[in-house]
Amino acid sequence: MATVNLEHVTKIYEGKVEAVKDATLDIKDKEFIVLVGPSGCGKTTTLRMVAGLEEITKGTIRIGDRVVNDVEPKDRDIAMVFQNYALYPHMTVYQNMAFGLKLRKFPKHEIESRVREAARILNIEELLDRKPKQLSGGQRQRVAVGRAIVRNPKVFLFDEPLSNLDAKLRVQMRAELKKLHQRLETTAIYVTHDQVEAMTMGDRIVILRDGVIQQVGTPLEVYLHPGNRFVAGFIGSPPMNFIPATVISKNSAFWVKTSGFELKIPEDKVEKLGPYKDKEIIFGIRPENIYDKMFAVAAQKENTFKVKVDVVEPMGNEAYLHVLSGSDLITARVDFRTKASPGEEMDLVADMNLMHAFDKQTEKAIM
Amino acid sequence: MKKRYGELIHNISAWIIALIWIIPFVGLLMTAIRPMGELLNGWWNFKVLHLTLKNFVNAWNHPNVPLSQGTMNSLIVAIPATVIPILIATMAGYGFSRYRFPTRKGLFILIVLMLALPQQMIAVPIFNLMNKLGLIDNYLGLIIVHTAWGIPWITFFMRNFFTTIPVAVEEAARIDGASDTRIFFSIALPIATPAIVSAAALQFTWVWSDFFLALILVYSPDKLLATQRIPLMRGVYFVNWGLLSAAAILLMLVPISVYTFLQKYYVKGMIGWSSK
Repeated sequence: MATVNLEHVTKIYEGKVEAVKDATLDIKDKEFIVLVGPSGCGKTTTLRMVAGLEEITKGTIRIGDRVVNDVEPKDRDIAMVFQNYALYPHMTVYQNMAFGLKLRKFPKHEIESRVREAARILNIEELLDRKPKQLSGGQRQRVAVGRAIVRNPKVFLFDEPLSNLDAKLRVQMRAELKKLHQRLETTAIYVTHDQVEAMTMGDRIVILRDGVIQQVGTPLEVYLHPGNRFVAGFIGSPPMNFIPATVISKNSAFWVKTSGFELKIPEDKVEKLGPYKDKEIIFGIRPENIYDKMFAVAAQKENTFKVKVDVVEPMGNEAYLHVLSGSDLITARVDFRTKASPGEEMDLVADMNLMHAFDKQTEKAIM
Repeated sequence: MKKRYGELIHNISAWIIALIWIIPFVGLLMTAIRPMGELLNGWWNFKVLHLTLKNFVNAWNHPNVPLSQGTMNSLIVAIPATVIPILIATMAGYGFSRYRFPTRKGLFILIVLMLALPQQMIAVPIFNLMNKLGLIDNYLGLIIVHTAWGIPWITFFMRNFFTTIPVAVEEAARIDGASDTRIFFSIALPIATPAIVSAAALQFTWVWSDFFLALILVYSPDKLLATQRIPLMRGVYFVNWGLLSAAAILLMLVPISVYTFLQKYYVKGMIGWSSK
């Protein structure tokens, strides 16, 4: 168990490509932290630098109190689970799990008891004599996790470990990994491109883009208070609507004016949006904060707007509406009983208490 | 229906090609296992058919150039001339596929270029070099030349195979606590077994069947390799085709057994690595 600290860590490949830029991150002891972002954002490179599989161009990485910049992977007391499992194909499951312990010269009976215990926890006891090619994807994943936990390391590193599994198994393994973490209480760094995985698993989430950390926070923090437009668009599904707008003052109140509607800004947000009066901003609203007027409880004139329905996607427990407001395309996640039908006009209600606003130039959150 | 006809045509063509391919060998076999008198009207004439292994026995125990001794000599050359280059080139191939070092690209291009070098072009320099080293008519000289000749292509072959193995497997071993040497011997080498076996089978066959290099470097009658002995079995006034054919078949038996025995690995090695 240990903390992991990254201080101004930079990775430049072959003097050209800057994969990670000045990353600073403090991971607490026993924390499950998720690095998330689109491909090429530097999340795997960051993880590999912590593992010691990539050299650090600049900065410092600490595991516990020790600077590990020049420490070999084997001496960092970490264990890693790879995306393609990376099991040793010529060894049995038992040998795969015992390999690390054998190299560390553990006594035979200790190896045996650790492997059997890990196999019991992961429910793979009956697979110990099989070779990796005789296992299904889910079983291989368990073995890869087993190989990591037998060593009882200070830090677990997971590099997109569920991305090769089918959707159903992924959900199941997600819960199992989380449960395992609660049981072992080992610091874990988990890399994924799947924001749902990040939200459901992480104690905290680190969102990266183009090698730069965009925001660090609990799942709820980054969902409710995204620091910039990228984070707002990346976290949440379907993604947040971004609509070019102007802040205007009318009838002693402030309004968001877009090409299709004018909506009143709640009083508690005026203080921060006031300075943007008559200026252009990016208005953000999540699809789940827009309601079909027929099923909205707090529909008022100042938070209702008219749209033309383009596409209706019934999902069973809800429906996604793709609508046109002026020249803006908007997605709404509404009650499944909606009567919306393509080509027709309808009224939608926005929960303006949950609105977001971003600076047009910097794309940073205004509030 | 159309598909069935297509398949039928494919099958028939395959059979025809296979038959054409095998006819010379059948001829060789017939010549070897039938007495000389029956072959005068052509081996395909089966009006009278007597089978005999006499030619094989005669070739094996030939009074001047016994194939038994030749086989032993060939093995003395072929085994080390297979094992040594495989050992060196497997390590080199692994190095080329995994490590970044300054002259890597240039060296690799050099190796590929060497593959294109015809043996005849360097026959004289090889003879001179071995002569200076005092290794003419010495198996060590022949083994060195075969080793040098084998290393480039085996390096190329092994490097290509190693690039198909996911690096993650070796990285996992690194994190598990393995050193570079340990990773090579405990992880990369066992995974590469099919490729090593394929390369070994090819190199062995190449050395075994070699006539040219042996002709340049070995000349003492008792040191002659198996391939060198067959032409000497041809008499001055009379050619015993049965004897020559039997000797040729005996010579072929060794590489054929090697391939048959290692077939499982051989196919895998040619396809590349897969975790499936």
